[in-house]
Amino acid sequence: MIFFFLLQLVAIPVLSPLAVGIIRKIKAHMQGRVGASVLQPYYDLWKLFHKDEVISEDATWIFRFAPYLIFAVSVAVGIAVPMVTAVPAAFPGIERLSFLALSDFLVVIYLFALMTFFLALLGIETGSGFGGFGAAREMMVAALAEGGLLFSLLVASVIAQSGNLMGIVVNLQMMPLETLFPLLIAFVGFAIALLAENSRFPVDNPATHLELTMIHEAMILEHSGKRLALLEWAAANKLLIFIALGANIFFPWGVALQADALPGLALALVVFAAKAAVLLAGIAVIESTMAKFRIFRVPDLLFTSLVLGIIALSISITF
Amino acid sequence: MTDIAHIVSRYGIAGYPGQLSGNTYAFPVPEGDLVSVIENLKGIHGLPLKTVAATDERETHGTFRIYYVFGIPKEGIFLVPYLNVDKYTQVFPSLTPLYHEFSAYEKEIKSFFGLLPAGHPDAKRVILHSETFPKNLYPLLKDFAWDSKTTLSEEEREWPEFQTYAGEGVYEIPVGPVHAGIIEPGHFRFSMLGEEMLRLEPRLGYVHKGTEKLFEHLPMEDKLKLSERISGDSSFHHALAWSQAVETLAGVTVSEKARILRVVYAELERLANHFNDLAFIMLDTGFSFGGSHGTRIRERILQWNEKLSGSRFLRGVVMPGGVTKDISTETIDELQNDLDVIEKDFSEVIEVAEETVSVLNRLKTTGILDRDVAEDHGALGVAARAVGLGLDARADYPYAEYQNIQFSVPTEETGDVYARYRIRVREAHQSFRILHQALTMALHAEGPLALELPSLPADSQAVGIVEGFRGDIVYFVKTDQQGKITRVKVRDTSFINWTVFPYIVSRDVIPDFPLINKSFNLSYTGNDL
Repeated sequence: MIFFFLLQLVAIPVLSPLAVGIIRKIKAHMQGRVGASVLQPYYDLWKLFHKDEVISEDATWIFRFAPYLIFAVSVAVGIAVPMVTAVPAAFPGIERLSFLALSDFLVVIYLFALMTFFLALLGIETGSGFGGFGAAREMMVAALAEGGLLFSLLVASVIAQSGNLMGIVVNLQMMPLETLFPLLIAFVGFAIALLAENSRFPVDNPATHLELTMIHEAMILEHSGKRLALLEWAAANKLLIFIALGANIFFPWGVALQADALPGLALALVVFAAKAAVLLAGIAVIESTMAKFRIFRVPDLLFTSLVLGIIALSISITF
Repeated sequence: MTDIAHIVSRYGIAGYPGQLSGNTYAFPVPEGDLVSVIENLKGIHGLPLKTVAATDERETHGTFRIYYVFGIPKEGIFLVPYLNVDKYTQVFPSLTPLYHEFSAYEKEIKSFFGLLPAGHPDAKRVILHSETFPKNLYPLLKDFAWDSKTTLSEEEREWPEFQTYAGEGVYEIPVGPVHAGIIEPGHFRFSMLGEEMLRLEPRLGYVHKGTEKLFEHLPMEDKLKLSERISGDSSFHHALAWSQAVETLAGVTVSEKARILRVVYAELERLANHFNDLAFIMLDTGFSFGGSHGTRIRERILQWNEKLSGSRFLRGVVMPGGVTKDISTETIDELQNDLDVIEKDFSEVIEVAEETVSVLNRLKTTGILDRDVAEDHGALGVAARAVGLGLDARADYPYAEYQNIQFSVPTEETGDVYARYRIRVREAHQSFRILHQALTMALHAEGPLALELPSLPADSQAVGIVEGFRGDIVYFVKTDQQGKITRVKVRDTSFINWTVFPYIVSRDVIPDFPLINKSFNLSYTGNDL
């Protein structure tokens, strides 16, 4: 039990830079470049943690405090998400434990909203024009992406008759295959929300140096040193959490239901790695093969995500 | 070359006796007649204005002079009406109310000579920043102590004022002069309404290097190096324009071999830059595939440049009198073959981009330049061809060996980023076509690589014009009584196209600005000089 808790606590922050590194590596290959090592994000974090910081005279306590909060939230949400195992099945008696209340999908969504809120505050914190852009755009994207995210997860929740992410995975595994069809539609809506929430193509360009076009990068432009490292790391955590949600909520097979059988856990880990790799490769392919959208086309895309969620939901209710 | 008497009568300038000098026909115009002469040449006959150059000839002729250089396409001669400006009153009539195209030149003359363009609606100082340079500093005057340092105390500094917009929700965004990417410095002041750009005011001059003054003082061989360093991406074309101006002054025609090799090098420079521009246009839409492959193909050209000349940017290749680097027969064969491979490679990359809807969606209807605006400002090069103005110095004022080479000048009509993108794609294919012809001709070309230049004639002037990858580059070169070069006026394409720039963005949102900027890819150093 303690072991499981610790595993969930460290798994996301330990593996998340790797996920970013894998996307970059695949992108590099698709562009005909060798690319940096998949471990480069770890080196970058290490480097940033050892650098001095520059903090604007106009910065308030939010500027200093929010990176810690954002990082902490990202780690906390990590505990709540089924990665290799969905533990409530293994320990039926602990369902009421408080940290599992964290696994409620609404809690997860609005913890992400909390991160976004503080990120946007950081953007406008120092009064720089670019940060203001970033914050305003992030608010637009976040508000519009929320619907798609909410409804796509709601579909899984309705089918599985559970609001708990762990419970959803367990119950979905028991369901007959044909009842899961709406999940596929919901997954498309979720994937769009994933891209938007994680500042990925076609909404945002994580690799750009053009301040005028940035969303996420513009908000953290004024940060440096360890606070920047925390923000980058939190963004990586968020990405991996979304990957885990996408891989395990919508494709629940392979998630171990016995948290105490090591061979089963090992197999589940392999399956998760494979599913995550496919999703990461998908992101890399999208980022290599298309251009970013014009900013005012982004709402259309996010609206599509919402509509897909609603369609999937209505199908799942009529089933 | 057409008979000069014929030209004089055709353009109705017989009333102003002038002199043939180099490739110019220069004639003095009394101040009162200036407007009618310019209206006649530009308005009635539609001759394109190529540059306006002021000179300080107080020592030799007792006046300042302003030369208005008009090109006559396909004639190989430039009509140059000039105005004597009184050295005491230092005022000349502004032509800006008549044709907006003169505005940038007149502001420049005011800034560098202190001559006042009477009637100019907005004759503010350009390039020389008032927070850096003293108020009454006119560096192109002959008595300016060019090798002295200027200082400005804190109280004397004047910080710039920008045009401001007011209204609910309107705000300003300052961008630059230091940017995040490795690009040149320039300040942009945006007035914004949400994401929409209301107005853009560029402030340039951060890379002012006193180039035109240095041209007056550096020894002859260093002038060549200076021209190569005006705009690093156009090293060859700037040096070529300079060399052609000097050769015309000296009355030297370079050998056939040199002329053909100049075409080869010129097109290689154009290809490398077009590939680069296309790559960065695609990259700025976020299409990283096009970005990385475009720069990869550009690198192949740069490596050929190095192989042929020892310089990736073709420095030290051209000189007044000819070229310095020959290309052997075996290398020509190898280059011909490799060019085919590169063109195929290039076509494949462009094909992928053209099939990517998301890229086209970003490029089309973004950053539209109106044809009216382009014509009013005298827009040049890629920007002009993208609105259907088929200006190309290679076709209009053939130099080197272009008159014996088959190529077309592509034009587009829509004037958006996509049109400028298409122009570059189509021109790249034309460059391959030109290169194949020139390389075949180079196999049998005769003559020495370079000729010795005689000393230059006194009190003469000549124009050197080439089509760089952005558009035409014009050098106006003037000698004094001793036949020494006393004034070099450099007009890079960017000097004109920067004036068009603020008019483009007002229908766009700011996240598209970097893309629009890249589709013009103007030179800062070429403007600031």
